Amino acid sequence: MTSDTVPFREGLFLEEKGDVCLTGNRCRGCGQIYFPARSLCFNCFDEDLESIGFGREGTLYSYTVSHMPSTRFAAPYYAGWVDVSEGIRVFAPLVAEEGVQLKVGLRMGLIIDELWREGERRVVGYKYRPL
Amino acid sequence: MRDVAVIGGGMTVFGKFPERTPESLGREAILSAIKDAGIRARDVGFASCGTAYGGWCVGQRMLKEVGVSNIEVLNVENACATGASAFREAWLRVATGQCDIAIAGGVESMTTSPVAGRLIPPPPDDVDGQLGLTVPMFFALMMRRHMHEYGTTPEQFALVSAKNHDNGCLNPYSQYQKRLTVEEILRSRMVCDPITLLQCCPNSDGAAAAVLCAGEISGRYTSTPMLVAASVLGSGDYLHRWEDATFSDMSHKAAIAAYEMAGIGPRDLDVVELHDAFTVAEIMHYEDLGLCEKGEGGHFIDSGGPWLDGAITVNPSGGLLSKGHPLAATGVAQVVEVWRQLRGAAGKSQVKGARTALTHVLGGYVSGLESGAVSVHIFKV
Repeated sequence: MTSDTVPFREGLFLEEKGDVCLTGNRCRGCGQIYFPARSLCFNCFDEDLESIGFGREGTLYSYTVSHMPSTRFAAPYYAGWVDVSEGIRVFAPLVAEEGVQLKVGLRMGLIIDELWREGERRVVGYKYRPL
Repeated sequence: MRDVAVIGGGMTVFGKFPERTPESLGREAILSAIKDAGIRARDVGFASCGTAYGGWCVGQRMLKEVGVSNIEVLNVENACATGASAFREAWLRVATGQCDIAIAGGVESMTTSPVAGRLIPPPPDDVDGQLGLTVPMFFALMMRRHMHEYGTTPEQFALVSAKNHDNGCLNPYSQYQKRLTVEEILRSRMVCDPITLLQCCPNSDGAAAAVLCAGEISGRYTSTPMLVAASVLGSGDYLHRWEDATFSDMSHKAAIAAYEMAGIGPRDLDVVELHDAFTVAEIMHYEDLGLCEKGEGGHFIDSGGPWLDGAITVNPSGGLLSKGHPLAATGVAQVVEVWRQLRGAAGKSQVKGARTALTHVLGGYVSGLESGAVSVHIFKV
């Protein structure tokens, strides 16, 4: 990332050498994935968690287009829940591509893209788009 | 634990009253409840009251306007379940013998709150909120999935709003007194696809209060005491344990516990007041409260089941969609509505022969949980 590009929050995703993934952690005891990463497994009450990269692909569980603006987003904007291959559900903005009708069950891929601008700085985060 | 009965209830009309303070709204509701119960101010041994945005010591501020002072007052907050939480606390105090008569109250002035005229914002540390998730969006995602899984149609969702607005026209306390057609509802401005504006509850101002009394002395005050047959308060589980977003696990769990406590099943209910913040919420709660089978919510509204003359009338007051939603007042206002229903005093929206009722609220967006709080109460006469 260049100096005029900043993540909307640290520690949630990685983009390097052409690979893009979400970053969370997984309990070594029960296998539960946490995103964002946690210091404690809520299933086991165990602190033995390993960092993982995940969420490169998934299936669209549900989606919507908001016709109301929110704090950072002008209307209309797309968002949805993606069930990622590793088995958790992630909320993310969606990229609606010309000619592709969003529908439940669509295969989706992770990208890192601009969310909004703060002056000259590009604030980036994760989104999903149809594969 | 001993039996506890509701012996009085009162509320303000719900609506937009920017010139009125929480004290003014609360005074009207509590005074009305006290007069309805026929008690004296000095009979009150305990009060629990709540507000989400109304500030400190809201109970004391309302009660001092009606001659109640110098008693134990507890103020509670549980987002949209605040009023129900206050009611449950008053029930517990009487049930455990700490006092014979208690008051539960809730008040909200949304039009003078920091969130007036806009969406309730997500907590600042919430990642999903930063990425644009709003409350209507959360419900829109559930609605789309319900349509996908069960073939529920936009018309079936809209019919919930039409029913509740029909009922609101019969309730003088309802914010909206206007009938709406399914077509009007579907044609209204799109908020979060597929949720249109007339499928969202409004921001409202108002207050409600109930008087609770030990069962053994309730006959002194009324010939129709309304027994609190079950009181349940729960909180949401982690999102990673909530797999089916078309079904409120926490509402289901609270309802099962309430039915067990009351010794009845959903088929025994005559009236239900449930948390219809959006039309999809009412369809989902038909299912998670067991009023119909899972996935059958759309058919249930089509079949006439939840209408005024149906098998289990749902939201005869107009619900949040028409009556309005002053957050902390809602849970108590539901109790006031079923108190009117179960003693045959509900006027034009009376459900004939109603003897058993359930109230349900759910709310409080908490990042990482299904929702903040849920409460279910069951009442009998």
